Amino acid sequence: MAIRDDFEIVASQVRVALQRFALALLVIAAFGAMLIGKADTVLVENARVLALDLASPALEAIARPVAVANRAIADLKEFASLREENARLREQNARLLAWQTAARRLENENDRLRDLSQFREGPEASFITARIVGDSVSAYVRGALLNVGTRGGVAHGQAVVTGEGLAGRIAEVGDNSARVLFVTDVNSRLPVLIERTRERAILAGDNSAMLRLTLLQSVAGVQPGDRIVTSGHGGSFPVGIPVGEVVATGENNVRVRPFTDFSRLEFVRVVDYGTTGQVSANPANPSSANPGTPPAPSTAAAPAAPASAAPAAPPSAPRGGR
Amino acid sequence: MRVDGPIAVLDRWGRAALPGVVLLFFVLMTLAPLRAPYLSDALPLLPALTVFQFSLATPERLPGPLLLIAGILLDLLLGGPGAPVGVSGLCFVLIRESVVANRRYLVGVPFLFQWMGFAVLMGGNVLLVWAFTALWTWTAIDPLPALMQYVVVLVIYPLLGPLLARVRARDPLNVPEPARGGARPTHPRPGPPAP
Repeated sequence: MAIRDDFEIVASQVRVALQRFALALLVIAAFGAMLIGKADTVLVENARVLALDLASPALEAIARPVAVANRAIADLKEFASLREENARLREQNARLLAWQTAARRLENENDRLRDLSQFREGPEASFITARIVGDSVSAYVRGALLNVGTRGGVAHGQAVVTGEGLAGRIAEVGDNSARVLFVTDVNSRLPVLIERTRERAILAGDNSAMLRLTLLQSVAGVQPGDRIVTSGHGGSFPVGIPVGEVVATGENNVRVRPFTDFSRLEFVRVVDYGTTGQVSANPANPSSANPGTPPAPSTAAAPAAPASAAPAAPPSAPRGGR
Repeated sequence: MRVDGPIAVLDRWGRAALPGVVLLFFVLMTLAPLRAPYLSDALPLLPALTVFQFSLATPERLPGPLLLIAGILLDLLLGGPGAPVGVSGLCFVLIRESVVANRRYLVGVPFLFQWMGFAVLMGGNVLLVWAFTALWTWTAIDPLPALMQYVVVLVIYPLLGPLLARVRARDPLNVPEPARGGARPTHPRPGPPAP
């Protein structure tokens, strides 16, 4: 009896002490978690992947009705401007058909020249299409969750593209989920080329809608309207994926608007690209076999200028002056 | 000893689990791809709002360890590479503790006061997360998006807060619960059985 009483007294004392120091213990535990996260990044990454894998079925269940609702709202909005949109698209279509013919002619020419010089092309890129099941967007992160993981062939570091251009890269992969880090994220650093001048640069995000271009050589050559494409340097990224367009140039502060509209992403493609080399086709422009109106371009340029780039000029002098 | 039928037991369990479940739901919802322009900015702060609101009504149903785990889960799900894991847990625990310590000024007062209390606590929360994230990733993070998030969640609070507060108002059996009203959970005292 006495032993039991003693035990109860000690237990109640421990309980009181725990209650008294509960807050301190919890705060210490939180700091401990933060420190462990800082010290052992692999552990945290594994925990993140596990959490994503566990949450992704629930998120997928949430994502579908949300996507339907979002699409309905977008449809309603578009309905209002249907006529103008149609006219704009018709005009753009005519322009793009001209580009298409130019591209086909150049492709043929390119093939012939490659045959002549026995050019060896890099590995072909293949694509894994994924649905976005979660937004990982807050004041500190710009990213998204995909419903494919290692089982679908997705690997760390692969490029993620949309029809418009590069969206980001794979930052974490689970069995059936993956996290994309958008190019706009503050942690994103991307080796790029300025398409017109072939100048190398680094494109960095800062969590805002615009990207910051850090030039490795000189600022002088950059003009508003210049297209920025991936350079493929130093990694598994293919060469020539369009990323964005220069909108403002200043001293040491060149701002780039990404082609991808991150607010409307629903599906993306993950580029499975082996090691290094060249992508044969521009991912933004799957080949089609519809001959268009007779064009008159004379130089090589990316044929599928995204809609948002909106080059008003006819496709005649893409590489010249501006 | 209370003599309860199975439905009453179920009801008690349900009410005990509700705050935790709602918190978990909002933690998951932070990742939902809502594309509403301003609303999606505020999503990451909704779990903190839930913690605040339930700490007003039933803090004993949101024990500290649960808050810590929910916060760590939120950080794991939401965080980018290098972001601190555990800072949300810290915030949740501190919010609950501040609310419990200041119940006098927050419970049973006009809604405006509650709102002001929420604004103060949420401001501290946003500041803490921003400071820790900046420190941990060692980058100068633009405070404007965080500020935007803060403003939106302040606007959302009057819409969502009363809804969550109904957990307290709708007490099905209207049994005076000993834990109610006190800052700390107390031991159940023997009382008259439920009608």
